[in-house]
Amino acid sequence: MALKKKLALTLILGGIFLYSFFYIQQGMAEDVPAPTQAWMEWGDAYWPTKPVRGGMFRAASPYYIGVLNPNHFPVMDWITMGYIHEKLINHDGNYKATAPWLAESWEYIDEVTVLMKLRKGVRFHDGSPFNAESVKYQMEWILDKKNGAWSRTMLKPVKSIEVMDSHTVKWHFKEPWGAFLGTMASVPGYQISMKALKAESASTELKILNRRLKGTKRKVKKIEKKAEEAEEEGGKSAKKAEALAEKARKELADMENKIRELKEISKNHRPLDAYPVGSGQFMLEKNSPGNYIQLKRNPDWWYGKSIGKPDMPYFDGYKVSVIPDSSVRLASLKAGALDAISINPVQYKIVEKDKKINLQPFPANWLIWLMLNQAEGPCKDIRVRKAISHAIDRKALIFGIQFGFGREASCIFPDRHWTHNPNLKPVSYDPELSKKLLSEAGYPDGLTIRGVTANTPTAQAFSKAIMGMLGKVGIKWDVKFLSIAGLGKPFMNLEYDMAGGMFQWIFEPDVISTALYTPDGVLNYGRNNNEEVIALIKAGRKEIDESKRIKIYHQLEKVLYDNYMDIYLFYPVLLFASSKNVQGNNTDMIKQYGEIFVRSHPYWFKNGRP
Amino acid sequence: MKRYIASRLLYSILILFFVSILIFTLARLMPGDPIQAAAMINTDLANPEIMNDLRAKFGLDKPYHEQYFLWLTDFAKGEWGDSLGSGEEVLAMFLRRLPVTLELFIGATFWSFIIGFPFGIIAALRRNSWLDASLTTTSIIGVSIPVFWEGIVFIYLFAVILPIFPPSGYVPFSESPWENLLSVAMPTFVMGTQTAGLLARYVRSSLLEVLGQDFIRTARAKGLREKAMLIRHAARPALLPVVTVIGLSWGYMVAGSFLVEYMFAIPGLGRMGVNAVFARDFPVIQATLVIVALNVMLANLTVDLVYGYLDPRVRIH
Repeated sequence: MALKKKLALTLILGGIFLYSFFYIQQGMAEDVPAPTQAWMEWGDAYWPTKPVRGGMFRAASPYYIGVLNPNHFPVMDWITMGYIHEKLINHDGNYKATAPWLAESWEYIDEVTVLMKLRKGVRFHDGSPFNAESVKYQMEWILDKKNGAWSRTMLKPVKSIEVMDSHTVKWHFKEPWGAFLGTMASVPGYQISMKALKAESASTELKILNRRLKGTKRKVKKIEKKAEEAEEEGGKSAKKAEALAEKARKELADMENKIRELKEISKNHRPLDAYPVGSGQFMLEKNSPGNYIQLKRNPDWWYGKSIGKPDMPYFDGYKVSVIPDSSVRLASLKAGALDAISINPVQYKIVEKDKKINLQPFPANWLIWLMLNQAEGPCKDIRVRKAISHAIDRKALIFGIQFGFGREASCIFPDRHWTHNPNLKPVSYDPELSKKLLSEAGYPDGLTIRGVTANTPTAQAFSKAIMGMLGKVGIKWDVKFLSIAGLGKPFMNLEYDMAGGMFQWIFEPDVISTALYTPDGVLNYGRNNNEEVIALIKAGRKEIDESKRIKIYHQLEKVLYDNYMDIYLFYPVLLFASSKNVQGNNTDMIKQYGEIFVRSHPYWFKNGRP
Repeated sequence: MKRYIASRLLYSILILFFVSILIFTLARLMPGDPIQAAAMINTDLANPEIMNDLRAKFGLDKPYHEQYFLWLTDFAKGEWGDSLGSGEEVLAMFLRRLPVTLELFIGATFWSFIIGFPFGIIAALRRNSWLDASLTTTSIIGVSIPVFWEGIVFIYLFAVILPIFPPSGYVPFSESPWENLLSVAMPTFVMGTQTAGLLARYVRSSLLEVLGQDFIRTARAKGLREKAMLIRHAARPALLPVVTVIGLSWGYMVAGSFLVEYMFAIPGLGRMGVNAVFARDFPVIQATLVIVALNVMLANLTVDLVYGYLDPRVRIH
């Protein structure tokens, strides 16, 4: 669990610390209309000093980014990915996909059709334009199974995409799709150059054809030889053999023509997994897999120009080094070798009084929870589930293990999430009620429940605290601590009554609710099967009216809450530490406007140097 | 000798084959599924269809025996597959990381020689003196200190408080020779002190044993100077246990380098292998273990040959 936490802390860190912008000025570039949404209306309060150009921003991550095509597996660092590739839509401060970015506007014409207008004047790093054709091509590329895009399933409801004009597309769905906007703010929404994608496909096809070419040549020679022999013999068979030879020669010529054509398309092409071509504010400069990735400034970034700030982004480059150990990351920040990192709550006291370091807490859209097996065992009984939930002191957990950096959870959607039900309060700590409920459920002398959780230090600390709390009401939680990879088998085989868990980056509500509460969800495997819950999840996925969708998810949370479906513990607060030289990080505005603010506000160094 | 080497190599290939079966079986016996593990980190993957697609892509949906023969034949052809954890080609990963770990080991061996030999020799020559006691104590401390503790102390001392070296990271020699030396100075030293302590202990006891032999007494009786006696007569037999220590440390190069590579953020083979185990990254685990086995066998073979060179009594005819 700590590994996941470290990863995610670092991922968000990069994003939060990369962006800055002082205030919007007049003078937009003629060919690139700027977005004009509420998140741009900051006024003078954003930052007191003027942005300065220059310097290489240095961050760290426990893992290397992975492959650089977002649609290929695996990608371990989505924030760095977001510097290279930009999405059609971004999330707002409530984690809702409402902020236009490469998509300028959209409209549901009916339940199964969306008209989307795209931003003009955007160019990819290879100079090719972003337009309706490129969006259509990319989505079809993702949907084509042979391209191996893991995001293909995310686009399953798409029936077709129609190009209306150079910068307008019409999406046709197979069924009503309320999660469409959330999906466009997710993996398939990251835009890649059509020219590069075509070259990639051509390069793959070329390899296949080149392999086939030798065989075809051999085949033609063989047929020609046979034709010559038949000609010597004369008769009908000679004509037939010649026709066959002619056909084979044509096939070979077609193949050679195709190869020439593909060679032309894939000329100078380098694999997108290693050499990405996006439209983001930074471009790949160099990388050393497992060691670091270094990006350089995109001088033609459309957004800076569109708002009359051509200096954006302000940094010359961005470098993410792989540093697995959190204490070494902190030492590197203190030594001035890094400009910003995420820190663990236990490290807070170490940097709290450091005059060279700024600390920013950031409420994350993550959930720390305990999942219950209701298919078999004692947790089938709601009284037992209720007893467990009331036996856990969430405030004490947050205070004792998280050093206060967390918010008590009431259900699956975090408190700032657009589908969070505000009427639900976190389950109270009431050990007496727990004992009473256990007695009613037939366990007056207590009971033992099986458990599994991650063997990371943080997960173990949480589990031990929870074991102590449960012990006070007579519940023995017999926990096996396993590696994250090792958790898969007990999860799949339901070899537990209560297991520890964490769900990160809760944006589109359909993703978490499907994973947790539908029988084939990857965190379900049949552990619960509540018909009302499943019906609500299906309805939420299809509903396109926002207010109706919110009501559905509020109701979903209420049903989960009333049935004590799982134990929702808390939503963590992430901590970021940066050198005081880093300017432009307005935490309050990041909290208010969310991802879109981060994307549109590049940071800078006070003196233009790290 | 040539026949001996050839037979040892043939024997090694046979062992490697059995090791490959063992490695493959052990990797599959580990509880856990790599795709499930990835989905726990990247929640966008939390969809059964996506996960099944990925399993098919990496051939994890095939029966075990098919997976094994596919892996073995591809491995022999130099197609080591793609990493499930990073998406890189495993062979490319290995080739990129091998020089890094080799550099660490060469550096660590250098430090262990620089420290271990003088410590051992002085301690042996000044037997039972305060100098012997303090050098012996220092050697034991060197062996006993956990690498991760020594590493973080060094980082804070020589990168944060006294900013002499970079706190972490690796710069290839080809990129900047000077920065490369700075980046490997601390990790190699920390790694070297572990072996140095051991080396000092071995050199001391070995030298003491040799110095008590009749031929040394004879050399002294003949009036040979102490220095000449040490170099000409005592050094060579005293080197035998040293070869064992160095050989063993090289044999365990990949496994032994993990902690130092982890602490100092060095992208070497040790970190690659251990990360692969945590992520159930089968192609990387399998390749790493084959290389570890090969390395151990080669190190043992080399030690045997060097033994034969140093000590005619064990020379193989």
